[in-house]
Amino acid sequence: MDYLVAVLLPQLLHGLVFGAALGLLALGLTVIFGLLGVMNFAHGELYMFGAYAGIAVIGVTQSFWVALVVAPLLVGVIGAVTEVATLRPLYRREPLYGLILTFGLALVFREAVRQIWGGDMRRILPPITGSTPLLGMTYPNYRLFLLGASSVLLLAIWLFFTRTRAGIVVRAAVQDAEMLDGLGVDVRRVFTLTFAGSAALAALAGLLLAPVFTVYPQMGVEMILLAFIVVILGGMGSMGGSVIAAFVIGLAQSLFSLWMNPQRVAIAIFGIMIVVLVVRPRGFFGREGVLE
Amino acid sequence: MKRVTWLALLVAVALVVSLTAPAISQQKVVKIGDLGSKVGVFEGYGKYQTMGIQLAVEEINAKGGVLGHRIEVISEDDDTKPAPAIRKAEKLILQDGVKLLIGAVSSGSTLAMMDVTKKHKTIHWNSVSCAEFMRTTKFHKYYFSNQPDSRQQANGLAKYILDKMGKKTYIFYTDYAMGQSDARQFKTALEKLGGEVVGVAGAPLDTKDFSPWFGAINQSNPDVLFLAFAGTDSLRLMTQLHSFGMTKKYKLAGIDCFLLQQDLQAIAEPMEGFVQLNHFSAYNPDPNMQAFNQKFKKKFNVDANIAAGAYDAVYFWKAAVEKAGNFDPDQVSAAHEGLCIDNTHIGRQCIRKEDHQVVMDMHLYRVEKGKNLPIARIDGKDAIGEPLVGQDPLKGFTWEIKKKN
Repeated sequence: MDYLVAVLLPQLLHGLVFGAALGLLALGLTVIFGLLGVMNFAHGELYMFGAYAGIAVIGVTQSFWVALVVAPLLVGVIGAVTEVATLRPLYRREPLYGLILTFGLALVFREAVRQIWGGDMRRILPPITGSTPLLGMTYPNYRLFLLGASSVLLLAIWLFFTRTRAGIVVRAAVQDAEMLDGLGVDVRRVFTLTFAGSAALAALAGLLLAPVFTVYPQMGVEMILLAFIVVILGGMGSMGGSVIAAFVIGLAQSLFSLWMNPQRVAIAIFGIMIVVLVVRPRGFFGREGVLE
Repeated sequence: MKRVTWLALLVAVALVVSLTAPAISQQKVVKIGDLGSKVGVFEGYGKYQTMGIQLAVEEINAKGGVLGHRIEVISEDDDTKPAPAIRKAEKLILQDGVKLLIGAVSSGSTLAMMDVTKKHKTIHWNSVSCAEFMRTTKFHKYYFSNQPDSRQQANGLAKYILDKMGKKTYIFYTDYAMGQSDARQFKTALEKLGGEVVGVAGAPLDTKDFSPWFGAINQSNPDVLFLAFAGTDSLRLMTQLHSFGMTKKYKLAGIDCFLLQQDLQAIAEPMEGFVQLNHFSAYNPDPNMQAFNQKFKKKFNVDANIAAGAYDAVYFWKAAVEKAGNFDPDQVSAAHEGLCIDNTHIGRQCIRKEDHQVVMDMHLYRVEKGKNLPIARIDGKDAIGEPLVGQDPLKGFTWEIKKKN
């Protein structure tokens, strides 16, 4: 019982907290993959933009909560401009062009932040402090909030995609953009808004995790690798798959840390990915034909 | 006639100025280098190292300098990484011509610098880094240190922890030269005294979230959590341990330099009761420390800390240069050996000839309301250990956990 409460339960909670936040990041990535057919290498930098935009907004308003609304909107606008100015001209070309472009954008975004804010680590103080006694253990309130907020957001996104006309249009665009165009939907507008929404989601994840992980220009690079693994495991382009894979990775990372140094857990995570790709190349819920 | 008088006066003044000015501006200069972390995870230590050097140099220059030379300090940032430390050390020695190099902060950088100071025969003082290789396998004749290394610290801390805090200890360390060295030496010292190390884990330098390690710590159920971290890593770690209720669950102890006094106020609550070894505290009533703190505070308007070591290092070098009568590195190195000076931050200190380590009394402190208050004084001779120049400190060591039932 002691082991369960003092050891296992906190680790499970760590896993859920991290998995939920990772899910937010990976969800945007998988939607963009479905739309553009390429991995957006700049997605990690949009996550980083969220944290830095948060710092800027907090600097002006002194409020984390205002930043939580405004920062994703700002990054969403950056996402929309980026899509129109750089990605749109490449849609009719090979996916490799998009891949190289987003890789270049990641470098540009990272250096831009370094020029504006410098390379030093910055802190965003958690807006909720203190800890809560929970089943005999103590857990930080902000991390509990993180779990709750991320779960609510994931649920809201699921409702958006399944219950709203706009969500169904995006899913249709992911599946067959040409058919949608033929039905009279302005697909270019759908692409732009979806890219902006995905950027805002990444920014939201960046700002939510900033009080835990701190803020620095490389922060996106460290997270994006895990997000890629999540998208591959979940099934390229599968939104539900990404969410499930995010929780699997979060929990695996956390539980493996009990038996091996967390520094080496990444090896185990890659091991899981290799096994899944060998046994089921399309991932948990991927469409047939993708990566097969 | 009046115009002629004025003209003559002007010429006379110009003559006097032209004759005396060179004498003032051409006082001979000797340069010394200050190398360390000026930004990033160890920023605080690097900045205070610079301040300690500045204070000593100002005092010495005000009294005529060293052998008639005014000291000029050149400071460089090594980015807390060995490769820039090598580049900057080469620059300071070859381009600027420094006769003394003080640094670095990170043990990895200091070890890298030692190759450069050995190659270019430059007197090298370390007053912050503590990996055990510096006075063993990497030791060279131009290297000196007044920072208690991992072995000294472990010898000083282990007995107190066993006697007063608990028998079962978990060692958590920053996974690079300094932390590994501290963890190794502390495990060795503790096990030698009959203590039990129930777990050991390392986290990379500059880790942002330590919570993945907490499960393993809780699983081991120690009495004491021994922490070998420094700088902003320590700040984050303590904040996170506290938010998970672990600062109340375990007794906590840590290495010298775990946190600067200046940082303690900000996390006074998580740090309450923390035991650490330190070679300076502004709250230590020792008259030598108080005298140094007064000087430091007068100049910089903050309490002194690790800066005391860099300050003393400059005075040791000055005494050695004056004893040698010149700046020749071989002669200055020889003059250092066995040298004692009286007015350091902890009174009289001497350099041990065999491994160039200053035999230094240290204090154990307990943090109370954000202040490092002394709880015990450790005689330098008891903690320094026998000289192990050229011997591998890893020989016979194992990370294996020997659990007792």
